[in-house]
Amino acid sequence: MKSVRVFFVGGLISYRALFSWLNPWVYVPSFLVMPIFQILLFVYIGRSAKLQSDSFYVIGNALQFAAIPCLFAMANTIAGERNQQTLGYILITPARRLPLFLGRALPVATNGFFVALFALVAGSAIVGTHVAASGYAPIVLVIAVSAFACTGLGLINAAIGLVARETAVLSNILFGGLLVLSGANVPVHDLPIVLRQVSEGVPLTHGIAAARKLASGSSVGSVLGLLGAEALIGLAYAALGYALIRGTETLSRRRATLERA
Amino acid sequence: MRLSRSLAYARNVAVVEVEELARTYRTSTGILRRRTVEVEAVRGVSFEIAKGELFGLLGPNGAGKTTTIKMLITLLLPTAGTARVLGLDVARNAREVRKRIGYVFGGDRGLYERLSGLDNLRYFAELYGVEPRVQKLRIQELLQLVGLAGREREKVEGYSRGMRQRLHIARGLLHDPEVVFLDEPTIGVDPVGARELRATIAALTDAGKTVLLTTHYMFEADALCDRIAVIAQGRIVAQGTPQALKAGVGEGTVVEIEVYGIEDAVVERVRALDGVSNVGLEARDQKQVLVVQTLPGRELVHAILGHLHGSEVGRVSSREPTLEDAYVALVE
Amino acid sequence: MRVARVLAYGWFFRMKMLMRSSFNSWLGVLYPLFFATVAFFMFKAGADSKPLLYSSLGAAVMGVWSNTATPAGSALAQERWHGTLELEVAAPVNFALILLPLTIAMSTIGIYSMAATLLWGWAVFGIPLQITDPVAFVLAVPATVASIGALGFVLAVAFVRFRQAWALGNMLEYPVWLISGFLVPLSLFPGWVRPISWLLAPTWGIRAIRGAALAGPSYGDIGMALGVGAAYVVLGLLLVQRALHAARAKGTLSLT
Repeated sequence: MKSVRVFFVGGLISYRALFSWLNPWVYVPSFLVMPIFQILLFVYIGRSAKLQSDSFYVIGNALQFAAIPCLFAMANTIAGERNQQTLGYILITPARRLPLFLGRALPVATNGFFVALFALVAGSAIVGTHVAASGYAPIVLVIAVSAFACTGLGLINAAIGLVARETAVLSNILFGGLLVLSGANVPVHDLPIVLRQVSEGVPLTHGIAAARKLASGSSVGSVLGLLGAEALIGLAYAALGYALIRGTETLSRRRATLERA
Repeated sequence: MRLSRSLAYARNVAVVEVEELARTYRTSTGILRRRTVEVEAVRGVSFEIAKGELFGLLGPNGAGKTTTIKMLITLLLPTAGTARVLGLDVARNAREVRKRIGYVFGGDRGLYERLSGLDNLRYFAELYGVEPRVQKLRIQELLQLVGLAGREREKVEGYSRGMRQRLHIARGLLHDPEVVFLDEPTIGVDPVGARELRATIAALTDAGKTVLLTTHYMFEADALCDRIAVIAQGRIVAQGTPQALKAGVGEGTVVEIEVYGIEDAVVERVRALDGVSNVGLEARDQKQVLVVQTLPGRELVHAILGHLHGSEVGRVSSREPTLEDAYVALVE
Repeated sequence: MRVARVLAYGWFFRMKMLMRSSFNSWLGVLYPLFFATVAFFMFKAGADSKPLLYSSLGAAVMGVWSNTATPAGSALAQERWHGTLELEVAAPVNFALILLPLTIAMSTIGIYSMAATLLWGWAVFGIPLQITDPVAFVLAVPATVASIGALGFVLAVAFVRFRQAWALGNMLEYPVWLISGFLVPLSLFPGWVRPISWLLAPTWGIRAIRGAALAGPSYGDIGMALGVGAAYVVLGLLLVQRALHAARAKGTLSLT
């Protein structure tokens, strides 16, 4: 019962405490306006290069933008404890670590879901693309799973951030990596073979592919495999991220790696 | 009547003239339903500082010291009243004022951490328009003055608190200002470093500069300042030489009695004693100290001890009032 | 003379400072490369007739803006945070002369990113670096960098009141990439976008750079980039006095 409260209540409180982007002066430009311009940028590059349909870029970039809230927020809410010099106080509490750390992932994933959904709806309206009516509900599910998977990567990001401290730099680099690898703008089959293999293992790739199929009218059944793959990848990253955070904690007790602010 | 005479006096010698200076902050809270709150930080203060004088501004946190200084150094516009530095209005003639004043605040901030102390000084020398030919020599002199010579090529991020503070002082003196504003310059500096800083500050007035100093350390103000103004809740509550302020508490003595767990009722009975002007209870280590200020010529130790009958009593001492006693009496 | 000294030393001082922050400099070089990579893949696969160098040069200048937009937008917030803003404002020199070299130093750092992007395009995507008019190219690059720095200057002044200005600067990264025509010809945009593009100095900068590399002398565009950049400086000068007066009145120069 205590752990449930740590998970839900504690997670939300620390999310609000450590993720300063919830301020409207940051939230609106960073989460609502920026994804629209990212969509427009790539829609126009696509038109200029005479490549895919507009809808390809709207869906790809709307989902890929979930990486911004998921990566940055996850790193800030965990590794940010170090910058605020509150980490020591957290680590001496008896709270169970699984709800303590994963509780922070829930608001992160929820926000990532909302940001991507908003980008998809607003982006489609502005560019003038359409989603098959049958696809609405399942696409919402796909976005939720993708945001979850991205948050899994965010946990790894947070673990590294605990040690490396420069969380913004790392988050930006991971975001850039996903921009190239997730198939948001470059179809996965156009990537060199090595990158194509990496692409199969990163979050968002399968989610974006599934959303595109659903938007063009494919049935839910035909994307179940993609959806499952996205969820599995998310789980694997989340597990690895959590293990890394615990590992860092153990290591710090031995070597005082987290002590220096 | 008194005011007009002091103004006539000011026209001749006052370097800083402050008249009914006030500052109100408006802060808004809430996003959808905005509420505006007005905070009166400074509510009409007046004082003058003569040339070559070291003037202290004392007061509790939030009393309006820093707000007053910021108006005087042109960073903040007054909402009422006027202030002139060297005859120049701080609101209208900001640029001319800036050329002639130096500003130093205490604490870690205000330095370009990634660069060396020398780089920091050189940059501000440019911003203050110090002639290129003069710069080199001036910077060397100042490094000597503040005791940073030899360390100037190290990055500031590696400086100790005391070194940073000394660098701040050197920075504030680059353009040889006539008036120097020091806002809590010794805060957080170790005792030896603070003592050296005080010597540097004292040397400023010896060199003919006019200094306005704020500090929380009473012995520091007592030792350095020619005159002091005590500010509380945005108003000046007392002004004068440290001696005059101490005299204001009464020429009596201060009796300090160590006690262990004393009841409030007992304190009140002591307060009610004839000849007692003020009573305070301070915690020191495991014990408490009852501080009783008495009126001149009264011998009250026995009377006080009589009231303490039954409680455990430690050392008893009496002394002259300090500036701190005066300060506490004024701001409480 | 004094003005020139303050500007030159200020630029040198800020360059020194920016170059010492290694982690961020790496990001400044790396981050635009991801976008360049995506663009190269796209144009390589596409059916566009323009040479790849067209997009490579565009992606390179994207890096200059990328290195300017976010930090310039938040330049004043940063100075405020470090407690140096008050000291700079308290100095008798016009504050614009302190701020302009700072944002130009930011765009100058972007030259690293520019070079890295061109090299990346050449080494990984085999995009040759042919320059038709080297003299015009060598003039066009600093003109573009300076004009982007001037745009950053206007942003820094315009955002002086916003504590979260970094987010606003960040938000402007994509739109300027897009409507300055770094990767997409202006003719693709709706008509109403074009006048906005013309008001953006980077539009003229990339035209000048591309012109010098692909066609020949591009002095007209160099002049336009510098002209629009100069207009920004004048605008910033006018705004900065008003902004500082407002900050002094409201008491927002420091955090305390």
